[in-house]
Amino acid sequence: MAAIGTSEGVQRMLADMREGVLQGRVPARIFNDQEIFDLERDKLFSTAWCFLAHESEIPKNGDYVVRYIANNSIIVVRDEHGNLTASLNMCRHRGNMMCKSEMGNASHFRCSYHGWVYKNSGELIGVPYFKEGYEGKLDRKQWGLVKVRIDTYAGLIFGTLDPDAPSLDEYLGGFQFYLDIYLKQGAGGSEVHGPPDHWVAETDWKICAENFSGDGYHTPVAHQFGFHLGYFPSSGATHSEGWAVHIPDKGHSIGLGHTPGMPPFFGYPDQLVEQMRASLSPEQMEVFSKTRTAVGSVFPNLSFLIQPFSLVPGEPGVRFCTMRLWHPIGPGRMEMWSWCLVPKDASDEYKEEAYKAYTLAFGQAGTFEQDDFENWTRVTRAAGSTAVRGVEFPYVMGLDRPRLDDFPGPGYAVSPYVTDTNFRNLWSTWLDYLTREV
Amino acid sequence: MGLATTRGVDREVRESIREFLYLESLALDERRFRDWLEAFAEDARYEIPVRVTREKFSEWELSPTSRIFDDTKETLEVRVKRLETDFAWSEQPPSRTRHFITNIVVRPTDEADEFLALSNCLVYRSRGEETTPSLFSAQRRDLLRRADEGDGCGWLIVHRWAALDQAVVNAHNMSIFI
Ligand code: FES
Ligand SMILES: [Fe+2]
Repeated sequence: MAAIGTSEGVQRMLADMREGVLQGRVPARIFNDQEIFDLERDKLFSTAWCFLAHESEIPKNGDYVVRYIANNSIIVVRDEHGNLTASLNMCRHRGNMMCKSEMGNASHFRCSYHGWVYKNSGELIGVPYFKEGYEGKLDRKQWGLVKVRIDTYAGLIFGTLDPDAPSLDEYLGGFQFYLDIYLKQGAGGSEVHGPPDHWVAETDWKICAENFSGDGYHTPVAHQFGFHLGYFPSSGATHSEGWAVHIPDKGHSIGLGHTPGMPPFFGYPDQLVEQMRASLSPEQMEVFSKTRTAVGSVFPNLSFLIQPFSLVPGEPGVRFCTMRLWHPIGPGRMEMWSWCLVPKDASDEYKEEAYKAYTLAFGQAGTFEQDDFENWTRVTRAAGSTAVRGVEFPYVMGLDRPRLDDFPGPGYAVSPYVTDTNFRNLWSTWLDYLTREV
Repeated sequence: MGLATTRGVDREVRESIREFLYLESLALDERRFRDWLEAFAEDARYEIPVRVTREKFSEWELSPTSRIFDDTKETLEVRVKRLETDFAWSEQPPSRTRHFITNIVVRPTDEADEFLALSNCLVYRSRGEETTPSLFSAQRRDLLRRADEGDGCGWLIVHRWAALDQAVVNAHNMSIFI
């Protein structure tokens, strides 16, 4: 059932899409449409587990960052006891915004309107004129900041607006196996190199989420310079090699691209390659050691990428890791958040090198990122144009490829890396949320 | 320190640094990226830190660790080589830029042949048929070294540091240079 207010046209489109996705067809219109945006806000972002922050962004008691789920501003805090908590960034008295900066450290938050004071964990502890005005009768326990349910996996803090949502563990549904390549770099795990770079783009978040669900197909063309000038250690002839894996009905996916002949975890310093054996299971080692590119997404809008950038053409280069959030702010409009994750235990020298490689390739001045957004803003514009209503895109690549039955990791794995298999699962999961009764 | 003066820098140095900054931005606006690259010393750094909205009196507003650009001359050359192909899609067709450089203040450093040049930089960038341009407003802090006789136009950039005034930049990419 569609939400009240959704037009018949959109309801029909979604109903047709149910059949279409399985056969490899997706309507263009979903990538830039006001009604779809509204449905996503009400049915998807209101129930899914959405990424808020990495624990290493708030290492000390009192550290906080302000983040978003759909149009909700949320304070994510490490409280005075070291526990992680999250609350809506809104004063419970009349709704003023509590934190006006992106990050900081505070034991208490004081509202700049009438002066209510909260502990950083959200409990209301100070009310001006409590005796004179409220005659001592306001029950402070009832009027704390509105809590947001959170949970973590390997440093990632997720939140959900749905108190009845299944656990994060169940939501991730085995995808943790693949997240480890990004989150368990070396013995000490991963940490952010610094606060994220963020900017606004006239792009629909879903185009990016799909791309980072394993679109190895675009790389040789969209990032042709990397191949042509030798900065990206892959070649057109072998680029399709590797695996694509997704978790059925959960929407999470990863693409694992291979470059034949390269040593395990190439682009990492030797010491880190050694440490990977300790931080990963034998099955994970089997899946990841050959990987040149690991490009994956947690449904709906959190993505990761590991790949090398080589300043010397022909050499393995330096491996870096980026984490990104495609935050929708309107139909066909998003705010992009981009972090660099570095192995906590690696040398400062490698961290700096990896960070340099990251900024050269990703972030708003990154050479790969620039090209991606150039394409994505054009796709978005086309999807919002009237003649495109009713036009569908083909998602038939790999439709008849059998599932690999001896693949060592969980989920549904196929080969080669270049395929639409992950995307069909992504869009059918998306459809499950949008057509669900809330 | 009050309004620190630029005493100790003679007029001729100030004039030639000002002209250097104008010529350098002209190279960018005319898309002569090779010429632009030659304005950098071999050991040059090119940095744009990430700006974060913070409370007043916070330790920093420009991240000490996060950068939008974190380049050396070698990586700037990677960017330039890319722009010299016809498949640097973010610049195909190319942006039209105009760099407005004002408020130049030149200060001496401990090195006799190196000076610090502060300037305001406003970059107007127009792309394709878009009617809304991107605007980047930044403070630049350039460490300049006097070039050898006959080398370029008198100065080399040893360190360019530019801080954007927006914390959330309203442009889909920064495929241009500040
Ligand atoms: S709105 Fe915060 S105290 Fe009144
Ligand atoms: Fe890409």
